[in-house]
Amino acid sequence: MIEARGLTKRFGEIVAASDVTFSVGRGEVVGLLGPNGAGKTTVLRMLAGVLTPTAGDVRIAGHGTEGEAFELKRSLGFLTGDTALYQRLTPREVLRYFGRLHEIPEPALAPRVDALVRRFRLSEFADRPCGKLSAGQKQRANIARAFVHDPPALILDEPTTALDVVTGRFLLEAFREARAAGKAILFSTHVLGDAEALCDRVVLLHRGEVLDQGTVEEVCARAGARTLTDAFLARVGDEVAA
Amino acid sequence: MRPRIVFHIFRKDLVETLRDRRTVIMAFVVPALIYPLLFTLLGSVAVDKRGELERTRARVAAWGPVPDPVLEAVTRQARADVVDRRATPPADVESEARRLVSSKTAHVVLVTPAGAAPPSIPIRVLADSTNVDSDAMERRVARVVQAQGGELLRQRMTTLGQAPAAARPLDVSEEDLADATRRGASFAAALLPYLLLVLVATSGFYAALDLTAGEKERGTLQTLLTAPVRSVEIVAGKYLAVLALTLAATVCNLGSIALALARGTAAMEAGARFSLGLASAGAIFLTVLPAALLIVAVLMAVGVMARSYREGQSYLMPILLLVMLAGFASFLPGAELSPGTALVPLLDVTLLVHDILVGKAGATQVMVVWAVSLAWAAIGIVLTARVFQTEQVLLSGEKPWRDVFSPGVRSGRGLTPGNAVLFAALLLVLTFYGSALFERRTGLVPMILGTQLGFFLVPSVLWCRLFRVPLRETLQLRWPTGRGWAATVLLAGGGWSVGAAVWEQLLRFPGARAYSDWLGELLGKQGRLELGTALFLVALLPAVAEEITFRGVVLAGLRRSGSRWIAVVGSALVFGLFHFNPYHVVAATAVGLLLGWVALESGSIVPGMLIHLVNNGVQVLGERLPAVGERVGSPVVVGAALAATALGAWLARGSRPPMPAPVPAVPVSLSAPRR
Repeated sequence: MIEARGLTKRFGEIVAASDVTFSVGRGEVVGLLGPNGAGKTTVLRMLAGVLTPTAGDVRIAGHGTEGEAFELKRSLGFLTGDTALYQRLTPREVLRYFGRLHEIPEPALAPRVDALVRRFRLSEFADRPCGKLSAGQKQRANIARAFVHDPPALILDEPTTALDVVTGRFLLEAFREARAAGKAILFSTHVLGDAEALCDRVVLLHRGEVLDQGTVEEVCARAGARTLTDAFLARVGDEVAA
Repeated sequence: MRPRIVFHIFRKDLVETLRDRRTVIMAFVVPALIYPLLFTLLGSVAVDKRGELERTRARVAAWGPVPDPVLEAVTRQARADVVDRRATPPADVESEARRLVSSKTAHVVLVTPAGAAPPSIPIRVLADSTNVDSDAMERRVARVVQAQGGELLRQRMTTLGQAPAAARPLDVSEEDLADATRRGASFAAALLPYLLLVLVATSGFYAALDLTAGEKERGTLQTLLTAPVRSVEIVAGKYLAVLALTLAATVCNLGSIALALARGTAAMEAGARFSLGLASAGAIFLTVLPAALLIVAVLMAVGVMARSYREGQSYLMPILLLVMLAGFASFLPGAELSPGTALVPLLDVTLLVHDILVGKAGATQVMVVWAVSLAWAAIGIVLTARVFQTEQVLLSGEKPWRDVFSPGVRSGRGLTPGNAVLFAALLLVLTFYGSALFERRTGLVPMILGTQLGFFLVPSVLWCRLFRVPLRETLQLRWPTGRGWAATVLLAGGGWSVGAAVWEQLLRFPGARAYSDWLGELLGKQGRLELGTALFLVALLPAVAEEITFRGVVLAGLRRSGSRWIAVVGSALVFGLFHFNPYHVVAATAVGLLLGWVALESGSIVPGMLIHLVNNGVQVLGERLPAVGERVGSPVVVGAALAATALGAWLARGSRPPMPAPVPAVPVSLSAPRR
């Protein structure tokens, strides 16, 4: 459902991503893990069609970026730390706006927005300007925004970072439900506990390159570590410290 | 481009901006309060000061043997008190007088040198023109002194037994031909153009900043990029929102100024009256509109370069200063609209608004400035669209300029709507000035040859080469299908009637007949050109060169907007604008609609060339051969030709040969991949 094949991105002399290849199947959650500056956001932006790859291909639900950007974006719900909400619009207005941009017919839009408001428990603040919401409320509204067109694939960059435990747990549960509904989820996080609890497979990214990928158990075994955190540190920890 | 999506973005941006207190306060509330406050305050201060001066007695110093009758007259008629009377002037008259005036002891000093005696007694009236009170009192006192001199002369002439009038062999009087309305218009002509441009720029400033740098800073631009929208739709939506806010704020500001002026008319120069007719107001609005289009485009293009609102303010401030500089031209005596100044963006608008207000602007002048201003605005809009298609600008704002101006960004991907508009805008400026130069220096034949070859044909081919697009496919250089040929024959036979019918209606308007006669002369009525030469220059050459330009390059770019309407109407409007005269613009646009539609339907440029050839050929023959002229002018022939056109259009519909679907105009991501 989500495929990255040999993705490379250069910004002048800087290589932000180099030959990155992985895939996420239907009903699967894959964690994209890496330290700051590993190139995660660049890879996610290329997958979402926001950045153009210097080389390589992207396929989302069978659609590539060349000539099929619309289909690609329609098949994808995208959330990163950089995708903020409009401060002066309410969550309900934001959902309506993105629904219209996704060309959801007006008669279907209102019930869809109401359903998302209920599902992500936004009722309490759905008509309050986003600028006045707490971090957790904003993130819930933003995730609802990524779900507005009911995409088969989701790319979520640090969706639970800086959230309180209750909200984090609530969102993880929502992602599990989405997986159960057959959606492919690419999940990037610093919270390795979340990745361990949620991800079917993980991809370790460092300095723009894939260091390892597989199930949590496989990655741990290859690193000779018991936990994902130990495996992660074993592969990239020393270099980061250096 | 999908208008529905553009509308959603436009509406969202409008709502969001109107909810921003800072923008609303700066764009609407502050000006709405400032002008009434300013004018009322100034008005009341001016009225108070005038009243105070009227009531105050002038304080006069008189040094030396100033004649007593003069002092008496000054005391009585100028309502003055002599506060410092000296028999002999001090050694340093100027310093002492300056001291008296600055210490407010006296407003005016009258000085007569010691020893002065009849028949001619010099009297100096000293005052400080930088001191409002002293300046006003000087006028009051000097007037009385002059009058007293006249009275003394009259007495002397009478004593000599002469008529007083004999001392004035020339009785000179100065009279102002300008009535109060003209004086008001002159006052407004100096102020209003400057005010309009500055209002547009300041009104658009905060909205443009908020929707570009502000959105980048808040991270919402990237959110929008994750939705299935084209970058050109984002630009269009945001652009329209900023433009709407700018125009609304400008209108509010002007309304506020008008109301404030109406209340505080005392602040205006005495004897000046200002009123704006509906036609002039409309012409001014239409003149300022392209300026607003350009200013908003530049504000947005530069605003989006900034990474934060604060950085954007520093980027946009120089633009504001440039706009003020252009607007300042209306205050400069001698600044006139000429072929040179008409080329300078915003300056041309300033000078045209000035000319409209003083009633000097002609229809051609208005048309030229509109065309040039629209060309500049189009360049600005294309630049903005290019900026918004540069991913580094949208995501980080670092090192963007190379990407924005690099022609290679889209090379090989086919012409785009923005590219076509840029081409047309550059060509418009080039053609206008180039053909004027040709006409002045060389005459008619080289002018037509130079324009058609040098400004249409060669640049069109070069443009395609520059952007590495396949010439044959882009320009639709292919034969039509059998059905297309049948349509072509009918349309070529009758298509000229579209222009003729439009001309017939246009001739009802003032000035159209004179232009039509001039055009007739140009086409050879007076024998300036041989018939064969006229047919070659006016019919064959434009049929090839103009079709390649307008139904080739321009239509090729516009048709990739995804909308047939935009392609046909846009290319027709561009084609019309190149005819410069307002009446000719309308007629040519009508013909351009037919030519563009046929080019799209037939998938070939050939039918358009033939229709164009016959259309212009009929005009030449109609002017040169009276028998032809009478026939093509008869309602029966025009009616039959229109019927043939309708039938041809029906046949042309869907007659294009099957071909692969065009590549989408807008890159799927923000720019073409660089491999």
